Amino acid sequence: MKTITFTINGVERTVIVEEGLMLLDVLRDVLHLTGAKRGCDNGTCGACTVVVNGKAVKSCTYPIEKAAGAEIVTIEGLAEDGSLHPIQEAMVEAWAVQCGFCTPGIVMDLYALLEFDPDADDAALERTLNRHLCRCTGYEAIEEAAKLAREKMKKASGE
Amino acid sequence: MGDFRYIGRDIPRPDAVDKVTGLSRYIDDLYLPGMLYAAVLRPEYAHARILGIETAAAEAMPGVVKVVTGEGCTIHYGDNIKDLTPMAVDRVRHIGEPVAAVIADTPWHARAALEKIEVAYEPLPVYVDAREAMKEDAILIHEDNGEIWHLPTLHPIPGTNVANYYRLVKGKGEAGFEEADVVVEGEFNFPFGSAAAIEPHGAIVWFKTDGTLEVWSSSICPFIIREDLAHAYGLPVSHVRVHIPELGGCFGYKSDITVEQTVAYIASFVPGHPVKWVATRREDFIGTLIAHGIRIRMKMGATKEGKLVALKTTVLHSTGAYADTGVNITIGAAHNSTGPYEFPHCDLEGYTVYTNTPPVGAYRAYGHPEAQLATERMIELLARKLGISSLELRRKNYLREGSITALGERLWKHNGDAEAAARIVEEAIFGHEKPKEDERYYYGRGFAALMKSPKGAPFSTKGCYMKMNIDGSVSVNMAGAEVGQGLRTIVQQIAAEALKIPPERIRVYTEIDTQFSPYEWQTIGSMFTLQGGRAIVRTAERLIRKLKETAAQVLRCDIDLLDYDGEYVFLRSDPSVRVEVTRLARGYIHPDGITVGEVAQAVADARLPRYSNPDEHGQGTMGVTYTFGAQGCEIRIDKKTGEIIVDHFASAFDVGRVIHPKQIRGQVVGGVTMALGAALSEELKFDEEGRLLNPQFYQYHIPTYKERLRKQTIAFVETPGEIGPFGARGLGEHPVIGVAPAILNAIYDATGIDFYDIPVTPKRMKAALEAKRKREGEDAAKEVEA
Ligand code: FES
Ligand code: FES
Repeated sequence: MKTITFTINGVERTVIVEEGLMLLDVLRDVLHLTGAKRGCDNGTCGACTVVVNGKAVKSCTYPIEKAAGAEIVTIEGLAEDGSLHPIQEAMVEAWAVQCGFCTPGIVMDLYALLEFDPDADDAALERTLNRHLCRCTGYEAIEEAAKLAREKMKKASGE
Repeated sequence: MGDFRYIGRDIPRPDAVDKVTGLSRYIDDLYLPGMLYAAVLRPEYAHARILGIETAAAEAMPGVVKVVTGEGCTIHYGDNIKDLTPMAVDRVRHIGEPVAAVIADTPWHARAALEKIEVAYEPLPVYVDAREAMKEDAILIHEDNGEIWHLPTLHPIPGTNVANYYRLVKGKGEAGFEEADVVVEGEFNFPFGSAAAIEPHGAIVWFKTDGTLEVWSSSICPFIIREDLAHAYGLPVSHVRVHIPELGGCFGYKSDITVEQTVAYIASFVPGHPVKWVATRREDFIGTLIAHGIRIRMKMGATKEGKLVALKTTVLHSTGAYADTGVNITIGAAHNSTGPYEFPHCDLEGYTVYTNTPPVGAYRAYGHPEAQLATERMIELLARKLGISSLELRRKNYLREGSITALGERLWKHNGDAEAAARIVEEAIFGHEKPKEDERYYYGRGFAALMKSPKGAPFSTKGCYMKMNIDGSVSVNMAGAEVGQGLRTIVQQIAAEALKIPPERIRVYTEIDTQFSPYEWQTIGSMFTLQGGRAIVRTAERLIRKLKETAAQVLRCDIDLLDYDGEYVFLRSDPSVRVEVTRLARGYIHPDGITVGEVAQAVADARLPRYSNPDEHGQGTMGVTYTFGAQGCEIRIDKKTGEIIVDHFASAFDVGRVIHPKQIRGQVVGGVTMALGAALSEELKFDEEGRLLNPQFYQYHIPTYKERLRKQTIAFVETPGEIGPFGARGLGEHPVIGVAPAILNAIYDATGIDFYDIPVTPKRMKAALEAKRKREGEDAAKEVEA
C-alpha cells in the first residue's frame, strides 16, 4: 500500500492505495470523481483526460505514484460558482455534445491548451482534438466548439 | 407549414450542461453501498467443450468474495430464440462467451484473480463464416437446433446450423426473370464490425433481501430486461426494477438483452450485494453484440427500356454463436434488399446461420446498409449493361405513390418522395464538372439512393405520462432512451407544441425506471420521434381534455364549447368567459374549498398502425412507415498510397418534418462519419480459430478527428407523414445506409475498378490499382506484339 497526497480541484487529498493503480482508477473508484470517463483503458480514446500540473494527461495510463504532490484539475473543477467555464459554454453553444461520453475529456484537453495559450493556432487545435475519439458527432460540431472556445478565451484573456 | 411555435426551432438540449460539467451519471459512475465488482473470464477457444474449471487459486486471491462458473446453470433466454445462457455450461461457442467470473471488493482485485482460474478445454471445429457452417459435414453448434424455443414465425432447419430460413415471394418470384431482357448478378460482403460506442456496456444487479431484484444497465430496453430476468428467476415482473442511467452512445448494440443475464447470474451468488460489471474495451468488442457479417448474392433483371422487373436476393448471415439478436437482421436485410425501387417480382431469402463468432446484434439501420450496399452496386452494374445512366435507371424505378413494396404494402404520397431527395444530391454532386485526373489523384463521384422501414415488432409500443403542475408547468415521463441523439429535446418540443406552452415550462425525465416510467418496448428503429412523438401528442390531447372537463364544471357549459390555448380554457363564443389552467391543475378549488374535477395528468401510448407478422409469403405490413433518401460523394484517390479522400459528401432525406435543425444535422454528420468508418477502415477480423485479432481502438480503426468530413451538403425534403407528430418521420439510422455504396460507386467512377465488399482500405485500394496497371500493361504489350 502507498500513501499519496495531491491537490485535486484546489483541495488537498490523501489516498492509501495499492501499487499498480492508474490515476483514473483512483479518481473514479476511490474518490468517486466520475467526470473522467473510461472508454478504452489504454490511452487511445481520450475520454479519461484530466489536467496534471497544467498538462493534459490520459489518466488511464498515468501511474498514481506519478501524481504525488501534483495539482490536478478534473472536469468537476471547471465550472465556478455555478457558471460554466467558457470552454464548456462553447461545447453547449456549438452543439458539440451528443451522448456526452467523450465530452469531459475533450473539454479538459482544450482547457490545458487554451488556458495557457488562448492564441493557439488551428494546428494546435487539430493536434489536441485528434487525441479524442467521438462516435456520435462526426467531429464537425466539436471543431466549431473548439474554435468558439478559443474566441471566448481570447476575449476573456484580453479583458 | 410554418404554423408551429416550437417545432423547427433549435431549442437547447436539456442534458447539455450536465454533460459538459461531468455530472451526467453513466453506468460506471454509479456506486451503491455494499457494492461488489465482477470480472468475467472469456475462453481461449472459440469452440470447445469445457472439461473442468479449477477455481481454488482464484478464491484465495486478495479481496475475492466468490468465483462463479456456469456449472449446473439451467437458465435459457432470448426473445426470438431462447438459445442463450448467462454463462457457458459445458461448452463455449465463441471467443467472448463468459466461462467464469470473480466477485471481489474492487474491480482490480476481481480482474487479478481471473488469471488464476484454470480451465481445461477440448477444442471443437470452428466456423467463422456461414458458408463453412452450412457445409454438409459441419458439426452442429447447437445440437438441439429446431427444438430450442423460438417464435412461431421463425423456421430453423433441424440438423443444420441454420437458425432460421426466411423467404419472401412477390409476384412470380424468380420466374419473373422471364420478363427481363438484361440480367446482372453479383456477390457482396459486409464484414463483421462493431458499433463501438465510446462508453462500453455495463450493468449492476442486486438481489435484494426483500426478494426483489434491482438492476441498472447501459441498455435501451429496460422493460425487456425486466421481463427476461423475472422469467429467469421465477419472480413476478413487478418485482424486478430496472433503471437506465445516462447512455454513452448506443447505435444498436445496447438494444435487446445483452449482458444483463450474465451479470444477474453472477450477482445471484451474493444475494444482498449489488454487483457491478463494466466491460473492458476488448470485452465490449467480443462479449456484447457485434455487427453485420452479411454476405449477399443478388440477381437483378430489367427490360431493355430500363424497367426493373425481378430481384433475387440470398442473404447469408454469419450470425454468431447465438441467433436471438441476429435473426431479425437477416429478415430485415432480405426484405429491404429492394432498396427504394419497385420490383414486380421478388424472391428474397435469408439464412441466419450459427457461427463461432460473437452474436451479431442490432447496428444502426439493422440490415439495410448491408442489403443496400448490394442493391446500389447492382443498379450501377445493370445501368452499365443497359448502356443508360444509373441516375436515369433509378429515376424510372423509385418507389412512389401507388407502388407496391416487396412486402406487398401500397405506398402513398405521405410515405415520402425518394425522387425529390435524389434530385438534391444529384445537383450537389453532379451539378458541376469533375476535376480532371492529375499526377497524384484519380477523381470520382458516386451516388446511392436508399430506403428504410422500422423493422420493429407488432406489439412495439411507446408510452407517455404527463402531469400539469399547479403553476401550469408540465412534467413528462417516458421510457425512450436518450443515447445522444437528442431525444429529450424532441420530447420537450413536441410536448410544448401539443400543449401550447413554452418548452422552458416543460421538464423531461432523465432516468428511466421501470417502477415509474410508462411502458416502452425499446428505443429502436428510428421510431422514437415517430411513435414516441405520437404518444406525446395523444397524451397531451387527453390532458387538455381533462382540463376542459374540469373547466366545463366551473364555467357551467358543455365541454365541446370550450377551447384551450395553453393559459386558459375559455368559451369559444365568448373568450372572456374563461379559467386559468393553473387553477385547473389540481382540479378546481372553489372559494369555499369544495374541489371539483380531476388532477390534470394523463397517460397514453402509440404503436404503428396495423403492423404485422409476416404471412406465408414472408409479406405483411412490416414497414408501415418509410423514409427515403439519397447520398452521394466526391472523392479523390491517391495513386501512390491508395488512400481515399472524401472531399464532399451529400445527403438528403424526406423526413416529413424537421423538428430540430441542429440535432437532425448532428445525426446526419455523425451517421455519415460512422458509415465512412465501415466503408473505409472498420472490420472485426477473426482468425481461423475464431480469435479476434483487433479488439482495441488502436487496432479497430473508427474515424478520428483528422479524418472528419470537411464539406457536406445536408438537406431535407418535408412531405408530411400521416403517422408521426406534425408529419415527422424517423432519421437516426438512415444516414449510414447509402454511404458505402456511394463510395464504391465513386471508386469505379474514378478508376474503373469494381469493389464488392468493404472496407476498402488504402492497402486494398493500392493493390487493386497495381493489379489494374499490370493488366493494362500486359494488354498494351499484347497489342504491341499483335
Ligand atoms: S480511457 Fe484513457 S484514453 Fe481511453
Ligand atoms: S458525443 Fe458521444 S462519443 Fe462524443
